Amino acid sequence: MQTKRTIFPNKLLPYALLAPQLAVTLIFFIWPAAQAVKSSFEREDPFGFRTTFIWFENYTRLFSEPGYLNSLTKTAIFAVSVTLLSMSLSLLLAVAVNRVLKSNRAYTTLLVWPYAVAPVVVGILWWFMFNPTIGIAPYMLRGLGIDWNHRVDGNQAMILVVIAASWKQISYNFLFFVAGLQSVPQSLNEAAAIDGAGPFKRFWTIVFPLLSPTTFFLLIVNINYAMFDTFGLIDATTNGGPNQATNILVYKVYADGFLGLNIGSSAAQSVVLMLIVIALTAIQFRYIERRVQY
Amino acid sequence: MATIDLIDLKKNYGNVPAVKGVNLKVADGELIVLVGPSGCGKSTLLRMVAGLETVTSGRIEIGGKDVVRAEPAERDIAMVFQNYALYPHMSVRGNLEYGLKNRGTPRGEIDRRVQDAADILEIGPLLDRKPRQLSGGQRQRVAMGRAIVREPAAFLFDEPLSNLDAKLRVQMRVEIRRLQRRLKTTSLYVTHDQLEAMTLADRLVVMNGGLVEQIGTPTEVYDRPATLFVAGFIGSPPMNLIPAASLSAGENAGTLRLGAETDIVGLRPDQLYIARPEGDVLTLAGTVELLEPVGGESHLHVQINGTEQPIILTVQGRPKLAEGDTITVYARPEDIHPFNQQTGRRTDAN
Amino acid sequence: MVENRPWLSLLTHLVLIVGVVVVVFPVYLAFIASTHGSGDFMRGLVPLLPGPHMLENYGRMLTQGISTAGAPPVSIMLMNSTIIAIVIAVGKIAISLLSAYAIVFFKFPFRLLAFWTIFITLMLPVEVRIIPTFAVVANLGLLNSYVGLTLPLIASATATFLFRQFFLTVPDELMEAARVDGAGPMKFFRDILLPLSRTNIAALFVILFIYGWVQYLWPLLVTTDSRYYTVVMGIKRLAATADSEPLWNLVMASVILAMLPPVLVVIFMQRLFVKGLVDTEK
Repeated sequence: MQTKRTIFPNKLLPYALLAPQLAVTLIFFIWPAAQAVKSSFEREDPFGFRTTFIWFENYTRLFSEPGYLNSLTKTAIFAVSVTLLSMSLSLLLAVAVNRVLKSNRAYTTLLVWPYAVAPVVVGILWWFMFNPTIGIAPYMLRGLGIDWNHRVDGNQAMILVVIAASWKQISYNFLFFVAGLQSVPQSLNEAAAIDGAGPFKRFWTIVFPLLSPTTFFLLIVNINYAMFDTFGLIDATTNGGPNQATNILVYKVYADGFLGLNIGSSAAQSVVLMLIVIALTAIQFRYIERRVQY
Repeated sequence: MATIDLIDLKKNYGNVPAVKGVNLKVADGELIVLVGPSGCGKSTLLRMVAGLETVTSGRIEIGGKDVVRAEPAERDIAMVFQNYALYPHMSVRGNLEYGLKNRGTPRGEIDRRVQDAADILEIGPLLDRKPRQLSGGQRQRVAMGRAIVREPAAFLFDEPLSNLDAKLRVQMRVEIRRLQRRLKTTSLYVTHDQLEAMTLADRLVVMNGGLVEQIGTPTEVYDRPATLFVAGFIGSPPMNLIPAASLSAGENAGTLRLGAETDIVGLRPDQLYIARPEGDVLTLAGTVELLEPVGGESHLHVQINGTEQPIILTVQGRPKLAEGDTITVYARPEDIHPFNQQTGRRTDAN
Repeated sequence: MVENRPWLSLLTHLVLIVGVVVVVFPVYLAFIASTHGSGDFMRGLVPLLPGPHMLENYGRMLTQGISTAGAPPVSIMLMNSTIIAIVIAVGKIAISLLSAYAIVFFKFPFRLLAFWTIFITLMLPVEVRIIPTFAVVANLGLLNSYVGLTLPLIASATATFLFRQFFLTVPDELMEAARVDGAGPMKFFRDILLPLSRTNIAALFVILFIYGWVQYLWPLLVTTDSRYYTVVMGIKRLAATADSEPLWNLVMASVILAMLPPVLVVIFMQRLFVKGLVDTEK
């Protein structure tokens, strides 16, 4: 790995410099993660006196549990919907901002601030809008003949959390799409215009393909976001309900472990989640390694 | 003021040797230029003297004191870097003062030295600017100033002019020369530019492949290159190196007495003639390949019969020659530099 | 712009305006709600124009809160959030600067191991190791304390990588010049490297301040004492009571208060915010 051409000759100083970071990492990251892996192979008796090593029993039980399989499905639906919805809206807005010259800073400012809103607060905002008794959205939907009650209807609950989660993520995707669009050389666009391609054709044949590194990067980041950063949002809107319709993996691991106190199952769920993050991170870094070489 | 002695200095990067044993004695106040192509080990050598590179084996003595284990700051040297390495967030004054402050130099003394350096280099009006507000030449001066204020035992220059444009480079070259003469500070100067080396140096050290090819004054090195490498490296256009056989076959070759081990001979472009000079001559027959006018003189590329590489002659004015003309080229026997291909060395060395 | 097509420009602005409305509307609604009296929601529809009770609602939330919700006044929670966000941001920056410095400017045994250990934290968000991490913090007696709220979140692979990346772009000669000038490692760090990292530190601070402010799950786990509640988690408790009591105006007033500090940071430090965001993902 890279260092400077010359380096300082001190022997002990680098360890001292690394000590705080490594201490926090070992105590609060590595050790707990190792504990999770360990407990996922164990069963604790009801009084917590004895633990038995039971190989993969927690895992086999987990994957035969309908509730967990349901959670996997819901997570997949949630993550894919949020990613697609948020990214397509952001791309549309980014392309639009990239076309306006004068007012683009103002538009950008108005579009990026939701990044700073906490997921729980996002949940509360949308919960308020869609509140079946006083919310404005159900009122208007009633006018269209739709009876909105996400406390009863699982599909409506899923739609609500997807909309709320996408809303928050628009700002992030928007900024990266704008940066990506700005790095597309204007000369290519001009060349295509001279070749007779109209603005829409130019976008799909020139700009969008050149944007693919950004798109791919955001795809991973959004899936990651939907899977791991939306705990507060779910907690504030649906609590995973109704009838587990929005019980995504991170919410379930919390509910089972913290509220249900099922240590073995919760640990196994943690390990599954870790594997997912590791896979996503690996994909992302492989791609970044490639990008560095451009 | 100090001497610098390098004694069998070696540097390996892993198993790859970069400097393969260099011996050099730099006299007090002398300006030595290390010159060679990139990768020849000249920068590594300089950086070892600075203490920025560890030494694999051998000794470095500055002012008679072994400094191999000393930190750069303890060696009483100052260095001027290729990209100047000015601290971007400090003013010019801050840059000049930094090293003195770190050494605990008293405030009054710092002010005096900064003022002196600013006067010498004429950068007084720039003292409160940041490096990014300066032109390339001004940055170069500040970098020099940072070395001067330290009043060190030796200056180390690492290609200090290569980031400047051609015109400024000539101007700064003259200035460095004048400054060094005035301060009489022992200096080691690294460059890959042979012209810069020739004009600056008291003595040249020509390096290639981690070894010293020749040490000598610029004229010595030019007039009597010790090796084929030096012959080809010093001088522009470079010395023509042609097989001895193609000379011996020529007219009047009888006057030529080459040792048996001589299989290649060198001839400087300005010591080849298209008009027959007086005295004994050797002749070479060939065809004109190209005539490049370069102002007051022209470079004539001639393909000599029976050789592969064309030779280059410097001729005055613009001779009326065209591509494809057959031509006779003359040389004087005493201008010939005889070499052996195998050893790469001169064959008439004493 | 390659060509001039008025209808396309019109469409562009239309898209943007609709986008801005969609983004702003939920917050607008919350703000409107926060300016009305509590009875105004009984008729079954939220008003769309501001009401007269703004100061009263905000004042009450800041100083008293809702007693039945079990959360302290918003002003206390805002203070907690500010402290925690700043400590997390400063802590992450400080330890990341030091570790990046060690990794880039020194060579030592286990350097690669240290690098990968830090890297691994990227793959272990708190959400996937909730119970054991909670157990560690509980065993250390750090529940209900600022240390417990901040310290476990302070390790940062992203910040370390960002500084590493930046340090690698600092010319080698600068460090060499400093060494020739008699600066040791810590002096070089303080006199040269830190001042050069200013912009990066500021940009990162913006991002990490927001990161600290929006934390929810972790404060939820480690605080049971309401004196340590952050505004983001406290709000959830307020909202939960609003379902039974018609206190929407007060809940929304605290929602606005909870959003305001980080949103203002983004708006007023937009340049640094964008730099921080884009840099940390490189």
